[in-house]
Amino acid sequence: MQNNISRWDIFCTVIDNYGDIGVCWRLARQLADEYDADIRLWVDNLDSFSHLCPTIVTDADVQHLEGMQIRRWRPDFPTVDVADIVIEAFACELPASYVEAMAERKIAPIWINLEYLSAEDWVDDSHLLASPHKHHPLKKHFFFPGFTPTTGGLIRERDLLSVRSAFDESDADKFLAGLGVPPRDGTEIRVSLFCYDNAMLPELLQEWADGPDRIRVLVTPGAPARQVGDWLGEQLLPGTQLCRNKLTVQGLPFLSQSGYDRLLWACDINFVRGEDSFVRAQWAQRPFVWQIYPQTENTHLIKLEAFLTRYLQNFPESETVKRFWQRWNGSGEIGASWRDFVAVRASLELHTKVWVGQLDRTRNLADNLVRFVFGK
Amino acid sequence: MSVKIANNLQSGNVVILEGEPVVVIKAVINKSGRNQAVVKVKAKNLLTNRVSEVIFKSDDKLEGVMMEKKDCKYSYFSAPNHVFVDDEFNEYEIDAETISDLEKYIVDGMEEVCEVTFYEERPISVVLPKIIVREVEYTEPVVRGDTSGKISKTAVLKETKHELQVSAFVEIGDKIEIDTETGEFRKRLT
Repeated sequence: MQNNISRWDIFCTVIDNYGDIGVCWRLARQLADEYDADIRLWVDNLDSFSHLCPTIVTDADVQHLEGMQIRRWRPDFPTVDVADIVIEAFACELPASYVEAMAERKIAPIWINLEYLSAEDWVDDSHLLASPHKHHPLKKHFFFPGFTPTTGGLIRERDLLSVRSAFDESDADKFLAGLGVPPRDGTEIRVSLFCYDNAMLPELLQEWADGPDRIRVLVTPGAPARQVGDWLGEQLLPGTQLCRNKLTVQGLPFLSQSGYDRLLWACDINFVRGEDSFVRAQWAQRPFVWQIYPQTENTHLIKLEAFLTRYLQNFPESETVKRFWQRWNGSGEIGASWRDFVAVRASLELHTKVWVGQLDRTRNLADNLVRFVFGK
Repeated sequence: MSVKIANNLQSGNVVILEGEPVVVIKAVINKSGRNQAVVKVKAKNLLTNRVSEVIFKSDDKLEGVMMEKKDCKYSYFSAPNHVFVDDEFNEYEIDAETISDLEKYIVDGMEEVCEVTFYEERPISVVLPKIIVREVEYTEPVVRGDTSGKISKTAVLKETKHELQVSAFVEIGDKIEIDTETGEFRKRLT
């Protein structure tokens, strides 16, 4: 990376507990680690951040972590030097005083709105379009993550896939043992569960309990543990293990991002949600099931369909996978579609590896971002 | 000057971008994440004639320009311009590219009154009436006993060959109302 301009300000407002900060924290770390970027990360909710990164001091206005400066983004925004590159994550509104300061710089900073991930076609035509400011001589560029070479790509650290490939079954057992998970019992299927509130979950848990396979569900804290606890009729705390017929559920503690990656690598099927865990589940190269963030007018179902169309291209059992994902994101009888889904998981895992190979041939998001910034 | 919300931009609007007036050729809204939306705008600079694409958050505010407007009727096409005429038979030429998004509805002899906008006495854009009536040249016939549950189908408009979704009961030769702002079928007249 050329160091003539390398000071970055990344602004993040936390809307959904871990999604926004999850993406920003990963990106910030990758830019700092791999591109020597001087990062200042502004976050309005350090409590959520501290779940991902327990060393965060939640009441500190300024702190340093992993070579980056972390700033608490308060309503009374301080006067600071404007960075060379300014990223507003997910269209968050920058402080007015900061925008004024951007306009006063001799050389305007490169201003980027990091948008939401979508597999829809319109993203390719919208990526990197400029948005002139109404009052100031500033231009913001919309940077769209995506699955094609004409989008901004996906967050993928330089060594991620090689570390993933080296992680074998014994590493998985060792990692899970650290979480109190016993060695695999014969043909037991290991499932990780991270979801929003989902009306389909009780029926699926019942199906798992009554079904033919032994299933161990590793349940992340928050909404998933609460819903599973409601179904069980008792609280599911981290470390707790409870059984219902063929189903064993186990509460997990909050994991770091690297720990969560390993959980995805160690499980046979991963239920993920939103954006960050959805992308990481793909790099895990295991069958996964995505609960997309629900939107008004069922917009999310169009986005779900767009991803499924790309992901399942050339997969012979695509309808089976599609049906189960649609049920998980909507309504209808989910038990039978689970049985169909689990029956194709071996071929789906092979297909997912091919899909990841295809994604790996495109540049990652941080690389695209740096190229854009320095190509300006 | 007025304020235009990006979400409401449509073909023919004139707004200020980077200090210069531009006329919107096309504005497309796409939903991004968490119920937010972005608006992609194709616009022509009225000083340089340069066409460019820009993007906004749907709730971004833009500076609109109050322009002189006149009611006109479409007259004819004289490449590369469409010609509109006012009550006093003054003719105004507007290049086809600028109103390319409207060409799907423009037909010779159309009776609808259009609104032509002028910038420094130069006609620069056209807004069609919100509702127009056009004839269906082709659509798949309704199949009796069809239980597929389809409630819409594709229809092709006479002359412009524009395709749009219409209700399943619409037939060839029907006259239909179309909302020019949304491009959607409203109802069948015959």
